[in-house]
Amino acid sequence: MTSPDIQEITIPDTVEELLGKDDVRPDVPWVVLVWNDPVNTFAYVIFVFQKLFGYSRAKASKLTNQVHFEGKAVVASGTREKCEADVSRLHAYGLWATMQKDD
Amino acid sequence: MARRMFKRARGGALVASLYVQEVELLVMTARDMVAIVEEPPDGEVRDRLYPRAYLDPTEEKAQGEYDALVHDDLVQARRTALEVVVAGLEAAEPNRRGLVEVTLSPDEEMQWLTAVNDARLVIGTALGVTEDTDTDFEPGDPRFEYGVLYAWLTQVHFELVTLLLDEIGEDGTDDPVLDAPGGPVDPELPGKAPGDPPGSAPDAEPGRDDG
Repeated sequence: MTSPDIQEITIPDTVEELLGKDDVRPDVPWVVLVWNDPVNTFAYVIFVFQKLFGYSRAKASKLTNQVHFEGKAVVASGTREKCEADVSRLHAYGLWATMQKDD
Repeated sequence: MARRMFKRARGGALVASLYVQEVELLVMTARDMVAIVEEPPDGEVRDRLYPRAYLDPTEEKAQGEYDALVHDDLVQARRTALEVVVAGLEAAEPNRRGLVEVTLSPDEEMQWLTAVNDARLVIGTALGVTEDTDTDFEPGDPRFEYGVLYAWLTQVHFELVTLLLDEIGEDGTDDPVLDAPGGPVDPELPGKAPGDPPGSAPDAEPGRDDG
C-alpha cells in the first residue's frame, strides 16, 4: 500500500510538548518586575511577597534572592490592569517595581 | 530581660514599646516625613518613593494614567501612616519603667510598618546607602546624625518585620502547581485544610488592598 510520506511530520500531542517542558509561562502579556535596591532588607521583601501574593516562604525567598543577586525578578504576571494594581501595591510597600510586556 | 519593641498582647493586638527618647525621635522623624512624602525633592528620593510603573518611554500615556490613578492615593496612604504613628505615640503616657506602650489595631500595624519603612527608604536614599557601606559616620561628618537615626530605624524595622514574618509562616496560598518546582505539592501539608482547592485563595488573602 502506498501513501504520501507523512511520517516526517510530528504533531505535538500537548501544549507542553509544543512549548518545551520547562516553559510554564502563563498565557498573559504583562509581567511585574522588582528591582534590587540597597535599602530594603531581605526579610522585608520576603514578607511583602508573601503578604501581597500569597507566596510560600520558599518561593518568596527565591524571588528575593533573585532580586538581590541578579538585580531583578519577575514576581507576577497578568493583564495590564492586574499588573498596574500589583505595581501600585508594591510601590505602597516601598519596593521598586515596574511592569512591561512579556516578550 | 531585654525589652522587645513589638509584641502581641493576649487578645492578639500588637503592642509597641518605646522609651521616651525613642518616642521623641520617632515623632520628630514622622513629622518631618509628612512634608517629604507630600512634596519629595526631585531626584533619587522622589524616584524611590514614587517610581515609574513603566520603564518603556513609549508608554508615556499609560504612565500618565497610572500616576493619575495611583499617585494621590499613595501620598494619602503614606501621610495617614505617619499621622497614625504620631497620634498613637502622643496619646500614650510612659509607664513606671519609662516605656511608652501603644496598642495597635491590625490596620495600624501595617501603617507603622509603612511609616518606618518609608522613613528608612528616604533617609537611606538621601545618605546614599549602598550594600557595601554602613552608616557609621564619624562624629563631625554632616551625615552623622542621620546615620544614627537610620541605624535606629533599621532596628525598629527589623524587630517589626521579624515578628510579622514569623507570623505569616512558611505556607503560601497561591497556586501550588506553579509554585513547586516538581509539580503539585502534597495537598495534605500541615496547615492546609484538606478541602482547600488549590489556587483559590489570592482574593481571600488579607492583603493591603486599601493602600
